Amino acid sequence: MSAKPPPDTAATRLSRLLALVPWLSAHAGITIDEAAAHFGVSAEQLQADLWLLICTGRPGHMHGDLVDIQFWDDDGRITVIDAQTLDRPLRLSPDEAASLLVALRVLAQVPGPHDRAALAGATTKLEAAAGEALRAADGVTVAVDTTHDPLVTEAVSRGLAEGRRLHLRYVGAVDERTERDVDPMRVLTLDGRAYLEAWCRRAEAVRTFRLDRIEAVEVLDVAAEVPSDAVPVDLGAGALRPDGPPVTLELAPEVSWVAEENPVESVTELPDGRLRVVMPVADERWLVRLLLRMGDAITVLDRPDLVERVRTEARTALAAYDT
Amino acid sequence: MSQKDRTERLLNLLFALMASSRPVPKHVLKDAIDAYRESPSDEAFERMFERDKDELRSMGVPVETVEGSDGVGGIEGYRVAADDYALPAVDFTADELAVLGLAARVWEQASLGPAAQRAMRKLETLGDGSVVDGPVGIETRIATAEPSFPVLLEALRTRRRVRFDYRKPEDPAPEPREVEPWGVASRRGHWYLIGRDTQRGAMRVFRLSRVVGAASVVGAAGAYDIPPGVDLGGAIASSPAGRVGALTARLRVVVDRGNGLRRRAISVDPAEGGDIVVLTYSDDEALAAEIVGHGAAVTVLEPSSLRDAVVRRLRSAAGLDEVAS
Repeated sequence: MSAKPPPDTAATRLSRLLALVPWLSAHAGITIDEAAAHFGVSAEQLQADLWLLICTGRPGHMHGDLVDIQFWDDDGRITVIDAQTLDRPLRLSPDEAASLLVALRVLAQVPGPHDRAALAGATTKLEAAAGEALRAADGVTVAVDTTHDPLVTEAVSRGLAEGRRLHLRYVGAVDERTERDVDPMRVLTLDGRAYLEAWCRRAEAVRTFRLDRIEAVEVLDVAAEVPSDAVPVDLGAGALRPDGPPVTLELAPEVSWVAEENPVESVTELPDGRLRVVMPVADERWLVRLLLRMGDAITVLDRPDLVERVRTEARTALAAYDT
Repeated sequence: MSQKDRTERLLNLLFALMASSRPVPKHVLKDAIDAYRESPSDEAFERMFERDKDELRSMGVPVETVEGSDGVGGIEGYRVAADDYALPAVDFTADELAVLGLAARVWEQASLGPAAQRAMRKLETLGDGSVVDGPVGIETRIATAEPSFPVLLEALRTRRRVRFDYRKPEDPAPEPREVEPWGVASRRGHWYLIGRDTQRGAMRVFRLSRVVGAASVVGAAGAYDIPPGVDLGGAIASSPAGRVGALTARLRVVVDRGNGLRRRAISVDPAEGGDIVVLTYSDDEALAAEIVGHGAAVTVLEPSSLRDAVVRRLRSAAGLDEVAS
């Protein structure tokens, strides 16, 4: 898990302690290192947690009132002898229940080869266990794009489930139609938009394809062969960030959405209300299309060649009209 | 007060509240827990106790306040019933736990991420102890970096109002708003709050990235009801261009170009100089912007309103307007 651990507040730590005791009871003889890895803390922190636990218990703190856990043998194994009243996990808090329920409902909408029956079963059981926390979850909706063709998503899911190569007819962001064979790796849904991640046999590299831009897909009678050194897309911050030289633009207020919809390196607000943005551009043809669409609402500051390309293209297009 | 001392105090309070099926009076708790007994004054103890009680409740511990039976409205004590404390013994299969693991990862690096991980640690104790890996071949991520997100969840659950500073792109400065949240929804990577704006007395949609600072809850719980059948996604989507397909356009499109337009076409017929593509649409300006993006590859044949919109945009992009003026 690459998320950085949250700061250990008293509530965070108490929450871990309350989950730790029933988990250790269910995993008798587990080692300190294994338990620490499971809870995402250091072995030292886990031992400190265990020391804290065995100092607490029912008022009076007499023998038999305290939590009793043995963990100091040389083999590093942990045995819960007396869990007191902590032998079962604390019920889910509202944000815990909501986080999983909303995510399960999203998974029900996204394309992919995942087990739909298990998904429905987990959702029903979790809803039963959540109680009042359902109220928060019911107020959260995640809209997933459904503009892709169901035949495409079905074929992609089948290729993944059966480990078979796919033949795609694909139209990229710059309106270019290509045909290629790919070996599917994952279906990614990032902020509501679905992609196929695959080893592209034409580019000999990992590529992502927007599902709504796949025009046709054929499941081939060939086993998929993803090279063992193929690096999946890092789903950390800035996933699918375009990689290319930066271009500096000035945006009029009515097109400020360009800076919200696209990854930018920097945004500066100018005194007249315009925005100056520095934006990585992977494919200049994409930027030319944007500039054509937005006319003089966008000014390119550092690329006179692009400005000239846009003007030439617009004049050629105008020639088709008797103006 | 160190974090260790506070954790220990909270844990001892929890044990004391669970130790008996009868409510525990406050003075008994004060005597039983070292940190309370050693507090410098009664006021300090009261503050500490109130804070601890709230902390346990916010974690989901059902701390019950039991009124006295003497009829004068005093509080007899506090308790945590073991059955209310524990997660119901839900029997998840290994496949279901795997799907839950996949669900927990949806919020990785988002504001709900830690909550999802805590939930998984609890649920995993209900399984048979096998290590749970999510299904392969699928990953879903939703970003919620918005600092207001947890506040809005809390407000939705308790039906409390929220207050925040909101800045529309065209406004020079943020404006304070008070809203009864009906829901939050994510669309195309942006989070929105939908609710009743109390000053305007009507439903409004707010983009969370335009909230300045963080929202805060105000007022009492149960302050409003959510109207039944609110369509959160629909509320966001119902922009002025909500009507679909009332107009018809005829375009000439160079072979193999304009593929997005072709996908939506009613008909595509080969002709001289490119295919004739017919499609329905709802807004001249929106379609004109798309067509102009294709440059010389797409020409509008009709209607004239669309043709005029395209020509105006092309003149602007060609820099002709500056020359003429």
